[in-house]
Amino acid sequence: MLNRLLLLSAALLLCAAQARAEYTFFTPEGAFAVEVSLENPGPRLRLPIYRNRITSLAAQGDWAIGGTTAQEGLSPFLFAVSLSAQELKVAHDLTADIPGQRAIRSGFGRVGEALYAGTIAQGEGAGGHLIKTTFNGKEFAVEDLGIPLEGEGIFALTADPERRMLYGISFPHGKFFSYEIASARVKVFDETAITKEQHGYYHRYALTDEDVLSRALVVDKQGRVWGSRPVNRIFYYDPATDKLVTIEEELPTVWGRRPLGRADSWAVAPDGTIYGGNAGDGQLFRIDPVSLRVSNLGKPIMSPRMPGLAFGADGRLYGIAGALPGYAHFFVYNTASGDYIDLGNPRVPLIVPEVDSEFPWRGFQIATVTATRDGKYILLGEDESLSQLIVLPVDGAPAQQWP
Amino acid sequence: MKLLLTLMALAALVPPPAVTAAPITMNNVRFVEYPDFPDAHSTWRSIGYSTRQNKVYIGVTNHRDKVGLFEYDVPTRAIRLLGFLPELAHLRPWQWQGKVHSQILEGADGKMYFATDGGESREEYLMNHPQGYYSGLLLRWDPRAEILEQLGTGLPNESIKDIALDNVGGLVYGVSYPSVHLLLFDPGSNYLRDLGRVGSDHVPRCIFSDRWGNAYYVDWRQRLIKYERDTGRLLFSEQSIQWFPGTTGEQIITGIPTYATDTELGIIYLITYSNMLVAFRPQRRGIGEIEILGPTVDSDKTPPPGYSPNSAFADNGKLYYFVGGHNRYVVKDTTLLMEFDPVTGKRRVALKFPLDVVSEVTGCDVKDAQGNLYICGRRRAADAQDMGESGASRPFLLIFNPDKDIRE
Repeated sequence: MLNRLLLLSAALLLCAAQARAEYTFFTPEGAFAVEVSLENPGPRLRLPIYRNRITSLAAQGDWAIGGTTAQEGLSPFLFAVSLSAQELKVAHDLTADIPGQRAIRSGFGRVGEALYAGTIAQGEGAGGHLIKTTFNGKEFAVEDLGIPLEGEGIFALTADPERRMLYGISFPHGKFFSYEIASARVKVFDETAITKEQHGYYHRYALTDEDVLSRALVVDKQGRVWGSRPVNRIFYYDPATDKLVTIEEELPTVWGRRPLGRADSWAVAPDGTIYGGNAGDGQLFRIDPVSLRVSNLGKPIMSPRMPGLAFGADGRLYGIAGALPGYAHFFVYNTASGDYIDLGNPRVPLIVPEVDSEFPWRGFQIATVTATRDGKYILLGEDESLSQLIVLPVDGAPAQQWP
Repeated sequence: MKLLLTLMALAALVPPPAVTAAPITMNNVRFVEYPDFPDAHSTWRSIGYSTRQNKVYIGVTNHRDKVGLFEYDVPTRAIRLLGFLPELAHLRPWQWQGKVHSQILEGADGKMYFATDGGESREEYLMNHPQGYYSGLLLRWDPRAEILEQLGTGLPNESIKDIALDNVGGLVYGVSYPSVHLLLFDPGSNYLRDLGRVGSDHVPRCIFSDRWGNAYYVDWRQRLIKYERDTGRLLFSEQSIQWFPGTTGEQIITGIPTYATDTELGIIYLITYSNMLVAFRPQRRGIGEIEILGPTVDSDKTPPPGYSPNSAFADNGKLYYFVGGHNRYVVKDTTLLMEFDPVTGKRRVALKFPLDVVSEVTGCDVKDAQGNLYICGRRRAADAQDMGESGASRPFLLIFNPDKDIRE
């Protein structure tokens, strides 16, 4: 009898110990992941291994449009996922249009129904191309707009649909450029480029160009284009004056870690306030569009990086905080109250057509975040050797601290 | 003389009289306790055999921060503690290691290779916090010099759950936890290649290799992945190894927790998390043939119940594995020792153990020259209730020989 009691106690304790080890994942009703990548997929359409880091992402009606980054020597894809069918429908190898490219990592800029992006070519010294792509629900049409800067790839890109302008950051030198769609006229601004002295400075911290260039650009309600430039500075391009202005206040830093600062992500609120994520230590910051005051809004988790931000239909700011060597946390920020809610490492059911039961999928590394046009869903693009698309409904996000 | 030779030749053609195998009893099993480690809580896949030294090596842990490396000398039946990893590997407190979860494998150089694991929640969730986890280490025990060598870490803040060896070219394959990255180490050049993430929510615990030095793992669809050493390519099988809508957990868990090799026929026997027996015939190039042999226990349930993170192929041509562990038992509070005969395709219960004798066993295909099989055993023990997150238990070395009386 005593032995039985001991065994029962041990079993209960075992269960309790295991329960303590369990974590609640944020998996709201209606969340899912689409299997975008699968090596040797048989009859299924999937992207092959090492060519599918989802480094550019846009939503267009029922469609999630992606652009990928491949390993050196391999070419990237444009792809289209039907959100209602929860399936990859179209994969377009960019080699068919522009051979010799490795990455579409700039993000997309939208002008009308066209999406614009920039590429990074294979090897050093080859120029990246500007591309215009349209998707008709069945296939991509890709137009090569040429190489805006000889010998330079395109690291970040955004578009001003009203002025029909594209703006970018070149790679590896970090020059800012504008591209007038109507005339194909390119103007290059050297002020943002990494100087020789700055290279020396970054060398002391073992940082490369890829670590410090502005990872994203954004156009505000006034048509100004915001980005970061070395070292830890914030600039905007003013189309009214055709000049670059570096504002007085820097990106918010953790003391001693200033060299890590750069814009990782941006989002413009409906009221015109500009929000940014600093890659250096993963701080969220706000720029007042009138006073240009920079406010440090702190950070939702311990890790550096904030790879993506997007406003949801509920007016709250959603984003991903954290990246290697940590893991992505999905968070929501209430711009009115200043509350963060860390929703943790996203885990949602992966849609595998051959499987009826729940097949949980965790997004450890996320490269891109965007919202559907109606703001009802937040889309996350993974940054892996086999990357999938994660879809989270804004409706499911809690109003208070969670869980 | 010719007549004699003819008779001898004819005699050689006549099959020997059928030998009726003796029933397997507790006389075929021996338990060995680990000395000098009162805090010992558990063992995992952490066992291996040195053909050159005729010794078995086991990593035993308190499932917190102390792993003892033990040596069992086969001829003398003596077991001894070689030391604890923090001291043997010159680890600092912030480099604590929760356990050795990997196999302990003999390399072509005669040294024993294994890797470390965080083991508890503080690894996965505290990460780079001061209380978090530094990284899993690849380690190499030199049995002759009795020196433990550090061969570097895997990915930052991640465990190395298992390793496999390329005994042709000296590569070491690994899998990281929790983000399921396939790793390729070349200790000779100190090269670490991250082959990328191949799973997600669940990390299958077993990676294994073949005689050509190719390594095998599974993706999230339980399709076999092969690192083809000759070409340096990753190959993915188009078809999944059969699995069931629900597996051993609350949700679908795919993967293979154990393997055992019939070296004569070149067959690697696998058991899946959904308790399916599989015969895999590897080949030097390309993915080999996969044959489904049915569930580990005769059962009408789908998925079949149980859990088998262990297996060994015996000299008698049969596969042995224990069923039970992690609260997944076919018979209530009972661990089963199963025998599978590949010739007849039949399986049977060879022995039954209450949980305070054997609650779970781990280890893949550890066998000495006399046909003894060595397995990491755990028994349920209420006095270990405050230790570890993986159940209250005490570890022991389990030796099993289906054909011999090996009692003390």
